[in-house]
Amino acid sequence: MVNFTIDEIRQLMDKPTNVRNMTVIAHVDHGKSTLTDSLLAKAGIISSGKAGEARATDTRQDEQERGITIKSTAISLYGTLPSDEDIKDIVGQKTDGKDFLINLIDSPGHVDFSSEVTAALRVTDGALVVVDTVEGVCVQTETVLRQALGERIKPVIIINKVDRALLELQVTKEDLYQTFSRTVESVNVIISTYIDQSLGDIQVYPDKGTVAFGSGLHGWAFTVRQFATRYAKKFGVDRNKMMERLWGDNFFNPHTKKWSKSGTHEGKQLERAFNMFILDPIFKIFSAVMNFKKEEIATLLDKLQLKLTPDDREKEGKLLLKAVMRTFLPAADCLLEMMILHLPSPVTAQRYRVETLYEGPMDDEAAISIRDCNSKGPLMLYVSKMVPTNDKGRFYAFGRVFSGTVRSGLKVRIQGPNYTPGKKEDLFIKAVQRTVLMMGGKVEPIDDMPAGNIVGLVGIDQFLLKSGTLTTSETAHNLKVMKFSVSPVVQRSVAVKNAQDLPKLVEGLKRLSKSDPCVLVMTNESGEHVVAGAGELHLEICLKDLEEDHAGVPLNISDPVVQYRETVGAKSSITALSKSPNKHNRLYMIAEPMEEELSKEIESGRIGPRDDFKARARILADDFGWDVTDARKIWAFGPDTNGANLLVDQTKAVQYLNEIKDSVVSGFQWATREGPVAEEPMRSIRFNIMDVTLHADAIHRGGGQLIPTARRVLYAAALLAEPALLEPVFLVEIQVPESAMGGVYGVLTRRRGHVFAEEQRPGTPLFTIKAYLPVMESFGFNGDLRAGTSGQAFPQSVFDHWQILPGGSPLDPTSKVGTIVQEMRKRKGIKVEVPGVDHYYDKL
Amino acid sequence: MAELSAAPVLSTPAEYLFEHTVTENKAPIQRRTDDELRNIYEVARAAQEIRQGGWKRIALQFPDHMLRDAPRVVQALNTELASIPRSTDASGPPERIYILADTSYSSCCVDEIAAEHVDADVVVHYGRSCLSPTSRLPVIYIFTHHDLDHQETVAAFEQQYPDKQTPAILMADVTYQDHIPALASELFALGYTNLVSTAIIHDPTGQIPNRKLVHPQTLTDLPTPSLHSHSIFHVSSPPTSLLLALSSRVAALHIHPTALDTTANAAAAAAAAAPTSTPRLLGRRYARVLTLATAGIVGILVNTLSVSNYLASVDTLRRQLAARGKKSYTVVVGKLNAAKLANFAEVDGWVVVGCWESALVEEDAGFYRPVVTPFELGVALMGDGERVWGGEWWGGIERVGIERVGEFEIEGEGGGGGERGEGDEGDDSEEESAPPEFDLRTGRLVSHGRPMKKGAAKVEKKKDEGRAAGGNPPSGGALALRPKAELAMVNGVVSPGAEYLRSQRTWQGLGSDYVAEESTAIEEGRGGVARGYTVGGDQEKR
Repeated sequence: MVNFTIDEIRQLMDKPTNVRNMTVIAHVDHGKSTLTDSLLAKAGIISSGKAGEARATDTRQDEQERGITIKSTAISLYGTLPSDEDIKDIVGQKTDGKDFLINLIDSPGHVDFSSEVTAALRVTDGALVVVDTVEGVCVQTETVLRQALGERIKPVIIINKVDRALLELQVTKEDLYQTFSRTVESVNVIISTYIDQSLGDIQVYPDKGTVAFGSGLHGWAFTVRQFATRYAKKFGVDRNKMMERLWGDNFFNPHTKKWSKSGTHEGKQLERAFNMFILDPIFKIFSAVMNFKKEEIATLLDKLQLKLTPDDREKEGKLLLKAVMRTFLPAADCLLEMMILHLPSPVTAQRYRVETLYEGPMDDEAAISIRDCNSKGPLMLYVSKMVPTNDKGRFYAFGRVFSGTVRSGLKVRIQGPNYTPGKKEDLFIKAVQRTVLMMGGKVEPIDDMPAGNIVGLVGIDQFLLKSGTLTTSETAHNLKVMKFSVSPVVQRSVAVKNAQDLPKLVEGLKRLSKSDPCVLVMTNESGEHVVAGAGELHLEICLKDLEEDHAGVPLNISDPVVQYRETVGAKSSITALSKSPNKHNRLYMIAEPMEEELSKEIESGRIGPRDDFKARARILADDFGWDVTDARKIWAFGPDTNGANLLVDQTKAVQYLNEIKDSVVSGFQWATREGPVAEEPMRSIRFNIMDVTLHADAIHRGGGQLIPTARRVLYAAALLAEPALLEPVFLVEIQVPESAMGGVYGVLTRRRGHVFAEEQRPGTPLFTIKAYLPVMESFGFNGDLRAGTSGQAFPQSVFDHWQILPGGSPLDPTSKVGTIVQEMRKRKGIKVEVPGVDHYYDKL
Repeated sequence: MAELSAAPVLSTPAEYLFEHTVTENKAPIQRRTDDELRNIYEVARAAQEIRQGGWKRIALQFPDHMLRDAPRVVQALNTELASIPRSTDASGPPERIYILADTSYSSCCVDEIAAEHVDADVVVHYGRSCLSPTSRLPVIYIFTHHDLDHQETVAAFEQQYPDKQTPAILMADVTYQDHIPALASELFALGYTNLVSTAIIHDPTGQIPNRKLVHPQTLTDLPTPSLHSHSIFHVSSPPTSLLLALSSRVAALHIHPTALDTTANAAAAAAAAAPTSTPRLLGRRYARVLTLATAGIVGILVNTLSVSNYLASVDTLRRQLAARGKKSYTVVVGKLNAAKLANFAEVDGWVVVGCWESALVEEDAGFYRPVVTPFELGVALMGDGERVWGGEWWGGIERVGIERVGEFEIEGEGGGGGERGEGDEGDDSEEESAPPEFDLRTGRLVSHGRPMKKGAAKVEKKKDEGRAAGGNPPSGGALALRPKAELAMVNGVVSPGAEYLRSQRTWQGLGSDYVAEESTAIEEGRGGVARGYTVGGDQEKR
């Protein structure tokens, strides 16, 4: 039975100081969902017997079947601190009573679903980072931690699967301590690398209680604090002092009954306090239970004052171990305590998060209200993703109330990602139909929801594609759009087997594009419906959903393809010139490659068309060595007005230039969307307008004359500047035992992979290999790798960067790149030969 | 800095204006003998028909590449006419013959407007034709005669269809149509019993546009069967629109190239006819259809003034667009080119009202915005719930039906109705928005897909209020505060074009770059003498 009511939860919501919003994040298979189970069991949502196996937050059937989490799932819990004493340990923030509301989100660990993690992190303030004792900190641990810190989210960690270390690896106490210590250290290294100064010291320390150790599968966990509480009385010292002594180089000398910092007494090695007081009882229980020593178990239980239920007493072996450990150190208590004590409440968190959350000025009413987490202020709500409802095709808008109160029937302004204050674009007004509380796979209706909480909204899903800002203030700016660590670089096209099913496919595509934060659905130039995802697995899941659920009709799915980008390798050999159709206007341009760093900045949104042009020019001049006058005369970003190509005006004293700017920019957007080589989008090209001659009569220099001409001259400039294709490249991290490394290298070499790092995980035979692998070559890589290493290697691939496709010029049909271009053009149904420069270049 | 030796050139010198050079395609001109000429241009038949019709003013329309023969054709025609004795009742001056030198839209259509300039009674149309029914003038079609090697064609046919039972249709481009009966009977004699021949009719909407099926030998009409099992053997390369129209209706299409096709042309035609490329072509058309589906402003290009129902079609298109809440502008530009259309940057897409061949604008032209046919627009307007693509395709305006409009209107009203039910408080400025549309092309939500929908509702509402207030003219009363960020209006109607000018353009004409400063309170400035100014009220000297 659920041991709390929705009314109780609703009451707690009014006390934002007693709310904790947190996401469970980790590398794939480190045990997030399993660990979450013990929390759910504690709350009575699932039976404690099933905890650890049910993975109740994996609500989809395929999640259960594959054993991985695909969608993040939110659930609200009720938590209580055992005594008033504990409240005092909540430092740096106010608290009101010892009852707490925990809004918890379980997130997927596979890289392909990183976007789900991003969406979850946005609505929470704290993160529980789960790390596997044996595998340690992995690539995805680092990625999610980096994202969390970027969102100004405070982490606490749990080192999971300690039981594996004890049962499978049979390590000694000191080894285990060293493993723990190393893991904590590597987490702290990541934290200090990506730290945001405004968060203060957020490194994790076992002796401060921000690190827990445990086993999700067996349902037990502990922090140093819990043991400190036990021993504080015995030793008659303060608990906090005791905590410090129970970690690190602190030793208790049983002979002198004194604490010391040195580990030797009369030449003999002393046992570390952590090992002696914490690990020792655990090791004893393990050995007693696993070696079936009944009497010893009984004495141990007696000593620890543990009472088992008659049922549990009958068990043996692992089952008994589970029962004993679960009674001794219940995971839920430990985790709840750690989260309540160390994670920030919305009141605390929004004070420092507002700067990274809000696009507008920090002194307007919306910003102030967010900062204060004011439930009486104007509504500011960020919808971070859409959750499917039982009603097919409709979604709950899932988000976080940052300020104000949202209630059923409230009329809100829905601001899409392209909304700018004062304009009508991307702005809709609509009443919220209902508000609901997300409880795993289910929802509970709730009348209203004050600031600081996570909410599901009914009735606004049609107005937002994936995410957006909801507000009641007319002057409010947007909450910042989320930036994902993954990009949809792998695509497949879908077509219906039966033409009459097309409407169903179209409807399915719409639903698919809503249901996933990262997936991209579009139609290419040749009229194929394309679904793009972060990786093969992501795409596979999306297409399965599309075929079976969203569209429900049989589909033909193409092989995965990669979208290329067109770029240039050098500066245009001569100034490109094109004349307008009436020959009275001439445009002169030069194309040159843009700095890769700058392109990345633009793609990440740090430099964009909406920036103040002077500030932007400063950054370009200081960081990228641009000429300040050039930097101030950026006419446009393209394609789609925000892409990583720039149009720079370098002309001097050209009359009527401002009149033709719009036309040239239109031509630029057009040309960068479909490049000259294969109609692929351009990337990382800087176009300089060198000179312009215009006809004196306005009628002869209209858009009709200039838009096509601008496109032609841009094409000519690009073709004169050693055009090239860019292909996306994955960063692959592979964990593999030494014996199978040869196989990994073999597979990578065959697929144009390039290994750039290889390190051994201390204390294990496992190696971590990092390599760059072109996305084009990555299809079927996982299977190949499994075959090549008899299933011992586990790769994680994430899009990293673009690189120039090697193998000659795309203009030369005999080269390798040239063949690829011709293939592409054939597929697109356009003329197979790339039109030459003379198509676009006009003689003076 | 270097000394300026002359005034800087600030604009293009005016003399460039007249330096317009036309690059001409100088094809080798073969001199034809008079007999050849008479044969190619079927002078005798033309003269016969003119005399039978009793027409006095005759306009000859040539496609551009035949224009060089025009004077000689006129000469021949004159001689021919003189040689035919006049009927007894006819009197008056002899016939006058005019050459229409330039067509307004496309050479395949009869240019009635140009013909009316000379007040012609009849138009003689030479060369290939789209055979679209005309509305004003009688037309004599001369498809011109071209030689065809029958033996070679028959051999190619046999090679293509070794099985003599193959259900095949023999057809040709209109310029080769005169060879079809002979070819058909030849093939029939060879044992192709399932062969079907074709004859020309004026029906672009037929199952095979402008052709009817006839028996290869008896030339009697055959009932039109389902063509799905038939293959077509086409002599000379067909226009793309025919290719698209047929691709979905017949089993296979084989093109037999002829001498008329230049080499480049033939290669392109062969590539186009390859079985894989027509679906590609249709795919590309589909991409454009999707772009049009979310276009807010659609331009209707009137590209014919002669196809019989063009006015009705323009009307229908306008109503269809209005029913879907889209703004339409009707534009006449004559022959299409990229420069003309790019002048209307605010238009999101174009639909061509033209004959069934010329309405299909192929992409190589590099148009700024997609150009589609009325049929494709119909598909684009269908709504995502019912749009089906890949089955049929047809060009032209003949089938722009009235029947679809009703359907659109119902949907246009009902679309947002379901949503509005609950929260309608009748407050104009706080009215709930209609949900945006999903743009399948880009995968984003667009809110500008139906610019006229909200506006229309608003205006109607205002009208109602006016009436309710006792019939007072709504403009008569007190001043009303105009809500901020109001849409651009022209005569009380929302104008997406004006809105585009206002919001999307940085340059809005002379004087638009003048920034009016906000008025501020007057402050005392600097005063005094150069030795030391005083600022404001302070006595401090600067």
